[in-house]
Amino acid sequence: MKPAPTLSAAFLYPAGQSLPEPLLALRKQRGTALVDMPLPTRKTENWKYSSKYLKLTDDMAISLPAEHKAGSSLAVPGYKVSFLNGVMMPEASDYPDLDGITIERFADLDDDAAASLADRMDSTLDNKAVQMARLNSARFEDGLLIRLKPDAVLDQPLFIVHEVNADASGSAYPRIFVDAGRHSQITLVEEYISSGSEAVMVNTVTEFTLGDGANVTSIRLNTEGENVQHIGATGVRQQRSSRFESHCVGFGGPLRRHDLQVRLEGEGAECKLNGVVVTQGKQHYDNHTTIEHVAAHCNSEETYRNIAADQSHAVFNGRIHIHQDAQKSNADMNNKNLLLSNGAEIDTKPELEIYADDVKCAHGATIGQLDEVSLFYLVSRGIGRREANVLLTMAFINELVEQIPVEQVRDTAHTRLNQFFDQTFEGA
Amino acid sequence: MLSIKNLHASVEGKEILKGINLEIKAGEVHAIMGPNGSGKSTLSQVLAGNEAFEVTEGEVTLNGENLLDLETEERAREGIFLAFQYPVEIPGVSNLQFLRTAVNAMRHHKGEAEMNAAEFMKLAKEVSKQVDLDPAFLKRGVNEGFSGGEKKRNEIMQALLLQPKLAILDETDSGLDIDALQVVSNGVNALRAEDRAILMVTHYQRLLNHIVPDHVHVLAGGKIVKSGGRELALELEERGYGWLGIKDEEEAAANSAN
Repeated sequence: MKPAPTLSAAFLYPAGQSLPEPLLALRKQRGTALVDMPLPTRKTENWKYSSKYLKLTDDMAISLPAEHKAGSSLAVPGYKVSFLNGVMMPEASDYPDLDGITIERFADLDDDAAASLADRMDSTLDNKAVQMARLNSARFEDGLLIRLKPDAVLDQPLFIVHEVNADASGSAYPRIFVDAGRHSQITLVEEYISSGSEAVMVNTVTEFTLGDGANVTSIRLNTEGENVQHIGATGVRQQRSSRFESHCVGFGGPLRRHDLQVRLEGEGAECKLNGVVVTQGKQHYDNHTTIEHVAAHCNSEETYRNIAADQSHAVFNGRIHIHQDAQKSNADMNNKNLLLSNGAEIDTKPELEIYADDVKCAHGATIGQLDEVSLFYLVSRGIGRREANVLLTMAFINELVEQIPVEQVRDTAHTRLNQFFDQTFEGA
Repeated sequence: MLSIKNLHASVEGKEILKGINLEIKAGEVHAIMGPNGSGKSTLSQVLAGNEAFEVTEGEVTLNGENLLDLETEERAREGIFLAFQYPVEIPGVSNLQFLRTAVNAMRHHKGEAEMNAAEFMKLAKEVSKQVDLDPAFLKRGVNEGFSGGEKKRNEIMQALLLQPKLAILDETDSGLDIDALQVVSNGVNALRAEDRAILMVTHYQRLLNHIVPDHVHVLAGGKIVKSGGRELALELEERGYGWLGIKDEEEAAANSAN
């Protein structure tokens, strides 16, 4: 039997040293644990449909340099923090001093703050299920710690623009930790973009801890290029009566993977997870979500839509785990999928594990194509084929796009969708 | 205006239309009657360009232009309108967006400027009153959750907005109560114009009490077996189809299936 592939030792080289001591120590400890880490194969259940897209070559192991580059000039309507190749660029960031809110790069943390952060990093993710997050923990070069004191409210969305510059092959490891205190409120937009054309890998971890009554909206938009493999993870822990809302909009690539894990740990907590994925050509996108109903009286609502054109491949795996004490849980998961060509593939798997006896748990998954009768109805009114296809495809996702609470993100999504429609329905 | 010569059409290899001949002039209202399975709906669908039906023989021209060479959307832009027997529900596309896209596609074709959202809203509200549809319907998904009568009124509303040269009404009376029938008929009568023709496909005579046709044709077994004036419809109402040699509906269906 062929030995299972392991992470190349090239990925274990020590990274840059400009971090506070407690974070360096954490990184070193996580790196040691990575020796001989098995890489996912098609026999790895949570990578079954996606392992064939994962291509980590040794020249991708090197951390991409962040020196002497400008950082993204993307204009945003709210506050902005720019990251280039996983390192924060203060000169390309713009946010004021805010009462009760601190936004600090890891490199600037004092040892106490760094030690406290190191204690909590990785605590929101199940690292057995999110193998690749461990690589980020061993390799992060910088990061952003956002702390909201009780009752602090961020009055505008905070955009974190993560640019990977792929002028050379390599990898980047952006990292974010959001500590939202009691009854605090924040809207965070993570936008992942790329420049350059060499093969690179972006490996992200974003963690949220929500105190009692905290209200966090997380928006994640991925429009990286065809040369970027993206493996991201988001972990969320929610205390009593907190609310977490997530909007993930992703366009495909050679490998796109996002794991989203939410733990409802305090009574009355609720989460709403929306996702839209669009793939074309030979692109791939894989969303894995897990909602842990740990405490009683929690609500979760999840709606994901995949659209796959050409020979592309989208995957959705949604797990809901209702623990024994989580009575009166209310969980609703819905995943609908649209195949725009016979060559496209979508795999969807709802997974429900319920150990409490007084819960409401609904799930539904469908896969279909555009309806010919609807198409005929539209064109019989003089509407062109392209327009009719667009109307029907948008009908499939419009509700989710419109729910994104930041206009600029909706606009970006619409622009990208129009490019997709031009390419997919050209000559239609 | 519309000229149909020796039209044959099949669906899934089964011939439904077996040589239809029909001439419709501008300003005229024609009714096509016939038992179930006679090919009435097939004729409507073929004229509108449904690709599920294959035309195997014959020709159809609209004002001299070969209709069968045109795509469905091109036919619509040239002035063919089909009010569907079963209007399609399209959740996620608002009725307003659908109607405005259609109207602007027509205007674009005619070289006219597109209507903006506010202009169109004003027009749509006026026309919705004409068919007694609450303007709130404009914001709902296309036909989504509409009752049968609301769907039919929405079809007539579309005809009023798109102002076709030839409006084909496929069983527009089916499923309507008497009040809705009156509203729909008023809408259709508002469509009557010297430069427009109307082709009504119906199983029952009752619609023709409200929309009086100039010509009535009986379709059976994929052919027009008798044509006449308004009185033909009344005669059919009284005597059924039997006296025309059409024995019963099952047999007619069986014939058309052969």
